[in-house]
Amino acid sequence: MTAKTIDRSDLPEVYIDDILMSLKYFADEHEAHLKIIDPQVCIACKDKPCLNFCPVGAYKAQEGGTVQIAYQACVECGTCRVMCPPRNVFWKLPRGGYGVSYKFG
Amino acid sequence: MVDKNEKLTFDVIVVGAGLAGAAAAVTAARGGLNVVMVERGVAPGSKNYFGGALYTHSLLDIYPDFFDRKPPLERPVTETGFWFLSKDGMVRMTVQGGKVNNNPIDAYVAQRAKFDAWWAEQARKEGVFLIPKTVVVDFIRENGKVVGVVTDRAQGEIYAPVVIICEGVNNLLTQKLGLIKHDFKGNATALAVKQLISLPAETINTRLGLRSSDEGLAISVVGDVSMGLPGLGFLYTGKDSLSLGVGVTLDALSAAQIKPYELLQRYLKHPMIAPLIAGGQLMEYGAHLIPEGGWSTMPQLYTDGAMVAGDAASMVNAMHWEGTNMAITAGKAAGETAVEAHRKGDFSARTLAAYRTRLENTFVLKDLRQYRNMSRFLHDHPEFMDVYPNFLNDALGMFFTGFGKPKKQLYSDILKSLTSRRPLVKAVGDLVAFGRTVMGI
Repeated sequence: MTAKTIDRSDLPEVYIDDILMSLKYFADEHEAHLKIIDPQVCIACKDKPCLNFCPVGAYKAQEGGTVQIAYQACVECGTCRVMCPPRNVFWKLPRGGYGVSYKFG
Repeated sequence: MVDKNEKLTFDVIVVGAGLAGAAAAVTAARGGLNVVMVERGVAPGSKNYFGGALYTHSLLDIYPDFFDRKPPLERPVTETGFWFLSKDGMVRMTVQGGKVNNNPIDAYVAQRAKFDAWWAEQARKEGVFLIPKTVVVDFIRENGKVVGVVTDRAQGEIYAPVVIICEGVNNLLTQKLGLIKHDFKGNATALAVKQLISLPAETINTRLGLRSSDEGLAISVVGDVSMGLPGLGFLYTGKDSLSLGVGVTLDALSAAQIKPYELLQRYLKHPMIAPLIAGGQLMEYGAHLIPEGGWSTMPQLYTDGAMVAGDAASMVNAMHWEGTNMAITAGKAAGETAVEAHRKGDFSARTLAAYRTRLENTFVLKDLRQYRNMSRFLHDHPEFMDVYPNFLNDALGMFFTGFGKPKKQLYSDILKSLTSRRPLVKAVGDLVAFGRTVMGI
């Protein structure tokens, strides 16, 4: 399955920030539970699939080819930990009580 | 529960107060043990997420008076089956009444933040101690045996001779114990994203053909919803909400460079789906991984002083949408084994092996073994999410509109709508292979 075989013409553009308004978080402003291990590795990473696969769009491309993580938006799914091709994401659970807190689930 | 050496000590520690964890905890408590559940969320359920429906058999197995306890459920599932989507059409294959109308109904739609909080509260009523807002970060080991856990609280060590790990799909503790040698794989794990959309109950009833708010749907949506990627969509009816989502295998999603929330939005804009949710308000978005590898990604289930249950142990049957019931059944088996170990005074792997033996005798390990090749099969045969749903739409569409056409020509056209997509030999081969995979041969 390659990207070429997929008709992407009807993929709608979505403003994820609007959707994230529906989520409740207890943001930990003191400790990031996600970190880029080595920014140089991101610069060397051509595809940067993290910019697409993260379900909350927490991965943002920066000038110079680095990537920044808006960890406060994370829903702790784990996708980035296993799908970052060079495994360049430090991933742990937020401290107890912090992070996403589903109201309905 | 603080012993003379000032150590916080229990008979059993359960990591995670979800469906598996609270089932394990209450089972151990009924066996007379002092049990603590350590939960990382502000309350049980706040980190939990699914489609989804719970299965009555597993709920009654823990609480025979389950329904008398007034559980926070949405609707019973009185109609269930497949919707096959083409680009602009749909074939519905659902069943209602008859065997779906058992008393009690076999499945109920629920919302996990509400339900799991209630589920854990039932365990607390039977003496289980709950420590929320606390992450277990490591184990305490003595002579290679697990004898407790380290939490992220100050002086956060808790001791118990047996630990039941129900940590969920991100099974980092299970990995830390060496019960599985690697993190999970992108080809055996699906990312599911969902929107919960509020609508008046009467609107839901009218649009979905439900006679009252005591009827509800659980639908697997196959075809255009996954854009040809190995994955499925779903629709569940809450009391006054609809839950719609889509789950796709991680590596295919990543390779396709599709944003999961755009894939979901595309599903919600589908001409057959959009009218169902028109005017609805987004109540909550979310995302969660599903360990669809099942048997193929299952860790060793026990070691000296520890057992693993639920998503952490890959207990998911992706074909039958089972997982919550496996978690509950496995949690109960782990709880029973903990009681047995205390009776023997032996917490070694040799005694805890009884956990696996118990599961061998249930649908959990029987089905996981039988379906061991299913996630790989669907991953390698995306035509089941693309070719066949489209063919089904074309074939039935042509069959039921073939008025005034010579029928020999009609059947030839129908066959062509298959063979133009997939040679007949291959199609037959796909069916046989699918059958073999289901049968586990």
